[in-house]
Amino acid sequence: MEWADFLQSFANGLLIAGLYAAVTLGLTLVLGVMGIVNFAHGEMVMLGAYNTFWLFTLLGIDPLLSIGLSGLLLFFIGLFIYRFTIRPILNDPPLNQLLLTLGLSIFLQNLAMIFWKTDSRSVITPYSGISLSLGEVHVGLTRLLTFLIAVGLTLLLLLFLYKARPGRAMRAVSENNTASWLIGINVQKTYLLAFGVACALAGAAGALVSTVMYTFPMVGFKLSLKAFCILVLGGLGNIPGALFGSVILGLTESFVGTYVPEGSGWAEGISFILIMIILIIKPTGLVGTRRE
Amino acid sequence: MNRSFSWKKGFFLLFLILFVLGFPRLVDAYFLHLAVTFFLAMILASSWDILARTGQVSVGQAGLFGIGAYTAAILFNRIHLSPVLGMVAGAMVSVLVAALLGYLTLRLRGIYFSITTIAFAEALSVIWLMTPGFTGGAMGLSTPPLFGGDRQQAYYLILGILALTVAAVWLIQSTRLNFAFTAIRENEEVANVMGINPTRYKVLAFMVSAFFTGFAGGFYSHYNTYIIPYEVFGLGISIACLVMPIFGGLYTITGPILGTIIVKVIEEYLRVTVSYGHQIAYGLILVLVVLFMPEGVVGLWRNKISPLFRPASR
Repeated sequence: MEWADFLQSFANGLLIAGLYAAVTLGLTLVLGVMGIVNFAHGEMVMLGAYNTFWLFTLLGIDPLLSIGLSGLLLFFIGLFIYRFTIRPILNDPPLNQLLLTLGLSIFLQNLAMIFWKTDSRSVITPYSGISLSLGEVHVGLTRLLTFLIAVGLTLLLLLFLYKARPGRAMRAVSENNTASWLIGINVQKTYLLAFGVACALAGAAGALVSTVMYTFPMVGFKLSLKAFCILVLGGLGNIPGALFGSVILGLTESFVGTYVPEGSGWAEGISFILIMIILIIKPTGLVGTRRE
Repeated sequence: MNRSFSWKKGFFLLFLILFVLGFPRLVDAYFLHLAVTFFLAMILASSWDILARTGQVSVGQAGLFGIGAYTAAILFNRIHLSPVLGMVAGAMVSVLVAALLGYLTLRLRGIYFSITTIAFAEALSVIWLMTPGFTGGAMGLSTPPLFGGDRQQAYYLILGILALTVAAVWLIQSTRLNFAFTAIRENEEVANVMGINPTRYKVLAFMVSAFFTGFAGGFYSHYNTYIIPYEVFGLGISIACLVMPIFGGLYTITGPILGTIIVKVIEEYLRVTVSYGHQIAYGLILVLVVLFMPEGVVGLWRNKISPLFRPASR
C-alpha cells in the first residue's frame, strides 16, 4: 500500500513536471537569448489558457486542437509586445527590464480581471474523467496527454534550436551577440523571433494548463513564480536545466502533498521556499553561471 | 540641488503644514478617510524609495507590511496591547525580519534580490494560510476600530508617522548616508574600494524601510479593523509600494509623495468605475514610465516643464 502511494505521487509529480517544463521553456529561451527575465511570461500562459477556454466553451473546439491556435495567437501578441515595449529598452539596465515586464504582467492580469472577472474556469471535455491504471497507479488521461504534448513541445524546441537556421542563430546570439552580428546574423530579427517563439510556447502551455488546472486571471502569475523557482533550480537560461528543475519541483510538490499533513496547502509554498533557500545559499542558482 | 533658502519655498511649506494640520476641520468623513489612505500609501512609497537608494528593488514589501499588520493584530487580540504600542511592536518585528533577510540576501544583486523578495512575501502568505490556530488563517483577524472609530485621531497619528518618514528621507538625503547609498547603487565594488561597507548600509536601508512599512502595516490592521493574508501579503501592496515612487521620481523627497497623490487619484477613480482590476493603472504606469519618463514626474518637471518658465536671460 505504501509503495503504491509512493509510486502514485511519483507519477503525479512527473506529470505535473511536464506542464511546468512547458511553462518554463519560453522563459528560458528569452532569458538565454536576450538576457531578460520576462515577468509577463506567465500572463502569456494565462492568455493561452483563456483562449483555449473560450474556444472550447463558445465554439466547442477541443483544447488539444487549440494548442496550435493559442500558440499562433500568442506568437503575434509576442511580436507586438516585443516591438513596442521590449525593443526600446534592450540596452537599459536589467532593473528597467524587470520593471517593464512586471508592469506588463500587472497590466495583463488586471485586464483579464476586467474582461473575465476573477472566476475560476475549467475546461471539461468528454474524456476528462477517463483515467488509466497501471498496476496500482492511476493516471488521468488528460494529465498524461498534457505530459506527452509538453515533452513533444520540448523536443520540437530543441530540434528548432539545433537544426533550423533561425534556431541556430538564436544559440549563436545567446553565446555572443556582437560576434553574431559580425558574422552577419540579424540580431534584432533573432530577438524578435525568439520572443515570438517564447510567447507561442507560453500560449501552447496555456492550452495545456486550461485542461488540468483552473483558469483565472492570477494563474499566470502563480505559474511565473514556479517557473522562476525552476530557473533557479536548473541554472538560468539553459533548457536541460529547466527540464531538471521542473522534475525536481514537480516531485517535491507531489511528495510534500502526499506525506506532509495538510500537504496540498503547503505544497503551494514549496517553490517560494526553494527560491529563497537556493538563492541565499548559492546566489547564482543551483547549477550554472551568473548572468548579468 | 539648490540649497539656498528661498522665501517662496518657505511660505509654501508653511502653508502646506498649516493646511495639512487644519485639514480635518475642513472636510467630511469621506475625505478624511481618503487622506488617511493617501498618507499610508505615501509612507509605503517613501520607505520603498529608501531601500531603492541602495539599488535594492524590492517586489515583496507586502511581506514586511503584513508582518507589521499581523503583529499588531495578534498582540491586541492576545494581550490587549494598546494599538499604538502594537504598531511600534509591528514595526520592530518587521525591522528584525528585514535585518535577517537583509543579511541572508546580501550577495544577491538586481533581479535575484527582487525575485527573492516576491518569494518571501508569497511564502509568508502560504505560512499564514496554513497555521490558522495562530494567525487566523484565510479567515483573517479582526480588531475593534482604532481610537473608538475617531478618524481625526487616526489622521493625526498617520500624519505624524508620515512626517517621521519624510524626516528620515531628508536625513538620508542631506547627510553622508546619501553618498554611501548612491555609491552602492551605482557600483557596489567601487563603493567597497572607497571604504564604504556595502553590507552595513544595505542592511541599514532595509531596516529603516522595514520600520516604516511595518508601522504602516500595524496602522492598517487597526484602522481597517480586519486583515486577511491574501491582502496584506498580496502582490497588490508590493506593486503599489514600487509604482508610486517610480512614477513620482526615484531618490527624491517629493517624488514618492507626488507619485502617490497622482497614482492614488487615478486608482480611486478606477475603483468606482470598474469592479475588478483597478490596479491596471499600476501596470500601465510602470510600462509608460520605464519607456517614456525614466526620471518620473519630478524629472519631467525639472528637465522639461520648469525650463519653460525660466526667464530667458540665463
